[in-house]
Amino acid sequence: MDLRTLFVRPASQLLTPLRLLASSKAIAAPLPLIPSRGHKTTSRTKRALKIAPHDSFLPSRTSSAAAAAADSIIYNPPSSEATPEHTPFIFLPRNDPRRQAILRLRSSGNDPTTYNSSVTAESDLPPEMRYKRRQPKYNLTKEHIEEMRRLRAEDPLAWSVQKLARKFECSTVFVQMAAPAPAEHLQWLKAKMEKKMERWGPKRTQAREDRKTRAEMLYRGEL
Amino acid sequence: MKRIRPSRWSGQLLQARCGAGIAATRQPLFLAVRCQSTSPAATANDSPDLDSQRPPLPAPSFDRAAQSAKLAALHARLSLPRKIPLQTLARALVTPSADANPNFNNSNLAYLGSTIINYHVYEYLVCKWPRLPMAILYEALRAYAGDASLQQIARRWGVESAAAPGEEVDPGLLQWKAGDEQMVNTRWGYIRAEAAKGQAWRRGLSSRVVLDDDFGDQVSSSEPEKLEYSGLQSEAFGSVVRAVIGAIYTHCGREEVKSFVKSHILSRELDPSKLFEFKLPTRELAMLCAREGFEAPVARLESETGRLSRTPVYVVGIYSGKEKLGEGAGPSLDVARRKASMESLKAWYLYSPGNKVRVPSDMMEEGARPWTAPHIDIGEII
Repeated sequence: MDLRTLFVRPASQLLTPLRLLASSKAIAAPLPLIPSRGHKTTSRTKRALKIAPHDSFLPSRTSSAAAAAADSIIYNPPSSEATPEHTPFIFLPRNDPRRQAILRLRSSGNDPTTYNSSVTAESDLPPEMRYKRRQPKYNLTKEHIEEMRRLRAEDPLAWSVQKLARKFECSTVFVQMAAPAPAEHLQWLKAKMEKKMERWGPKRTQAREDRKTRAEMLYRGEL
Repeated sequence: MKRIRPSRWSGQLLQARCGAGIAATRQPLFLAVRCQSTSPAATANDSPDLDSQRPPLPAPSFDRAAQSAKLAALHARLSLPRKIPLQTLARALVTPSADANPNFNNSNLAYLGSTIINYHVYEYLVCKWPRLPMAILYEALRAYAGDASLQQIARRWGVESAAAPGEEVDPGLLQWKAGDEQMVNTRWGYIRAEAAKGQAWRRGLSSRVVLDDDFGDQVSSSEPEKLEYSGLQSEAFGSVVRAVIGAIYTHCGREEVKSFVKSHILSRELDPSKLFEFKLPTRELAMLCAREGFEAPVARLESETGRLSRTPVYVVGIYSGKEKLGEGAGPSLDVARRKASMESLKAWYLYSPGNKVRVPSDMMEEGARPWTAPHIDIGEII
């Protein structure tokens, strides 16, 4: 246990006593590896914690007159989740006045919704996520499917769904639809699964139930 | 067609004719002589020996309605027009569970009221959120005009129930008891041929529109399902609100009842985005984009924090081409992506032309502006 904590602890932590020693000797020591929060006196701490407000809290600097700046509106809403009440541009029907308004804004060039703008390049958008998605290839013919069915019926254990999908370069769902296994094989698989589930202890059973509940809650929008 | 204006009718038309409420079918003797109107003609065949043997009425007599302080207070609290007599208000408080005779209980008024409420709520919902799926529309109607909501409204009006219904009870109390014989007939629909096959029989949504009642619930046949005590209670309280609205329509007409429904039922707040439950949001969104001719949706990681920590947060945006459809945050990439697609779908379904939508019944007003057709959606994503 001790050995493990020693390994896990970041190396910079080990240097702390050294840093303390160094700072006590000379003020002009190199910058510490970890910025310290505390200061020697209250006034120094207060001074260090005094941060200028963000620019958006300050009155706008574009207006030159001081009087105009005095009663400017500060718009700085807290970050919040996106609301579905805001309909995206392409979801607006053709005759909606908002659609015309956004189009007018875009054509004039001063569009507040910059991410929506048609002038943004592909590179300006956030990076695409990698996840499994449907990429239809339509590469299989009738003969391929017959061959797939023959293999599956011949030896469903050797020619599993995964293997067939890899061989014919299609999705597993397609294999399950096009070449379903014989009934006895499915029954055998089910029995095998039940045998496995019987061996689960209370913790694993509970965890799987929880996972199901969480998924349902997510789809109801409760998470 | 000429408009019917009950508000301009003379008093003679609005007063109850003696015996008009008695059904044509032959009634038992004690029901036939139970004339609860104030006119003296009814007491002509009232012999004293019959009166002494008369069984107690199941609900308070309408003669006592004018003396009830509770009724007058309820009438004043709802600022009902003077045209609605206290007797009608008293009748609205008698549920079929207390008095099974439809000439004296509120079932007819409640049925009339329920049709008016449901019409006004539906036209508002359909104009306000034209893309709501049918299942959500049913639940939104239930949220506005279901028994539980109407019970809340009735309780806020100050309606209280009597401990037990009876002749001696104050007519300003709700006459209701939880019994087996519930003869509430405020629902209308067809009894399905396949109802005998049990609950397991699948009911599609399209058939619900045609066959079932306004809330998409199956109309039960001879064997009504047993409701719990709370269900019966909310049904009884809900029938009061429906009957009062039916009474307003009967005595004052269309404009009055519309403003009453607007101020008491449609003024309640409902967030329809809470009603959704998705099954495969990513696939549904992909199908939506394919149907509408948009580019296929792509998830993009907008920002993240604490990827190696115990509580990471990822913000994922769904894009169709360069247009952003929705955004969601979650503790894992997968959860965030699903939440983002659910948000995008909600943004599609909850499109609203604006907060001040015009509904068809607005055209009934005098001097209404010409009608512009509301947005009509082509339908749900299948």
